[in-house]
Amino acid sequence: MNELVEKIGHCVERGKINKASPFPGNMKGQDGADELTRQALEAGMDAEAILQSCIAGMVRIGEKFGRNEVFVPEMLMAAKAMKAVTEHLKPFFQSGSVQAKGTLIIGTVAGDLHDIGKNLVSMFIEGNGWNVVDLGVDVKPEKFTDAIRKNPRCVVGLSALLTTTIASMSKTVREIKALFPEIKIIVGGAPLTMEIATGMGASGYARDPQGAVTWLTDIKETA
Amino acid sequence: MIESALPQVERENGLFEVAVDPKKCTASKKEMERLLGYSDNRIDDHFSREIDKVLSGMADRFAVRAGYRLLEVRFDAQRHDGFFVGDRFFVTQRIVAAQMKNAEKAALFACTIGPAMEAWSRRSFRDNDPVTGHFIDTAASDAAEKAAAVLHDHIGLIMAGGGLKITNRFSPGYCGWSVAEQHLLFSFFPENFCGISLTESALMVPVKSVSGMIGIGAKVKRKDYPCDQCGRKECARRAFKKESTSTKGRV
Repeated sequence: MNELVEKIGHCVERGKINKASPFPGNMKGQDGADELTRQALEAGMDAEAILQSCIAGMVRIGEKFGRNEVFVPEMLMAAKAMKAVTEHLKPFFQSGSVQAKGTLIIGTVAGDLHDIGKNLVSMFIEGNGWNVVDLGVDVKPEKFTDAIRKNPRCVVGLSALLTTTIASMSKTVREIKALFPEIKIIVGGAPLTMEIATGMGASGYARDPQGAVTWLTDIKETA
Repeated sequence: MIESALPQVERENGLFEVAVDPKKCTASKKEMERLLGYSDNRIDDHFSREIDKVLSGMADRFAVRAGYRLLEVRFDAQRHDGFFVGDRFFVTQRIVAAQMKNAEKAALFACTIGPAMEAWSRRSFRDNDPVTGHFIDTAASDAAEKAAAVLHDHIGLIMAGGGLKITNRFSPGYCGWSVAEQHLLFSFFPENFCGISLTESALMVPVKSVSGMIGIGAKVKRKDYPCDQCGRKECARRAFKKESTSTKGRV
């Protein structure tokens, strides 16, 4: 792989957004994902190769998170660096020469107003090359089904923090599956376990952002 | 731990509001680092500076409102899944019921740090600064939990004055006690008590609020949470308990 392209992936992994960014301390003053992506594209480098290098960077930071070597703040900085790259890649996404891995429709289910966990997961999944449609909090089942109609090949992610909203999540899963039986649904949030997720008919469960990315990668590979 | 009981006002018979100093509910820098997962001083300077900003900025951003109601407790020998508080039966399930055994009274409590920290965190996320948003949210959750701890200690000191002891505090949604009983618990409070309201799904608004029950009596004990008796591995209470040894930041 080209050295510049590799460096972009490294910036994403380390969360180095641009030259002005003070994070990480040991890369202060160096060009970041923003400048390096611009240079790479100006030099005619392949946008798809840049994207793949960045996704590999996101996978590496996700693995470090799984090993407790980094924490949520580093993951967020990596997602921000990835966003800086994708801003440059937008024209390539629009022309179709670079493609998102898929579309995830995400929201906190009706009755629940918690959104921090959902936002973190959403940023991380977006950083891993997915197009994310965030429906916000207190989302009723019909809002999910409307969004699925507009994005028929999507995957759906449901979040809840309260045990009382598990019933609301089950209802949302049921209503989505009744209209779109083929749609895959991943659920997450503090009161959930794999057993509860399976019981309500969800296709998958993740306990953290990296778990969600791994699940999404798996279903894409087996599709 | 507070050294002496705090000022309190009796709003109506058995219903008290307590003045809690927000400074007692603000995490130290070290505590924040630990809550975020950094237990061995390897936090980046940038994050360290952002934490400083959040801790210094939060002082003016929240006020604590806290209160409790004292009620008689009665047990039904035929039932082990709960007990009467006042004239209502709480189905707390066995873990909480066992801890409340021997209680003569219960203090039903609620406290909040208000909506401002939540709004500040949301604004940071919206302004493309999720790291600060995450730090604010972490500090706010901790402040609400600290407010509950201060209120707990205060109730303990008041009761100790009358020769009574207290149990640990228990909240709907933990230790097998259904969060739906939040509605029953709040039925003992006047509307909008301490500025807290409940949604249909039992969510407290403002979100950074804590409610629950503390047992009171001559023979009760304040024991640690019996997490080994509960199946919920992802429970936030368990995470709090493990905080001192954990290296993983909570989302």
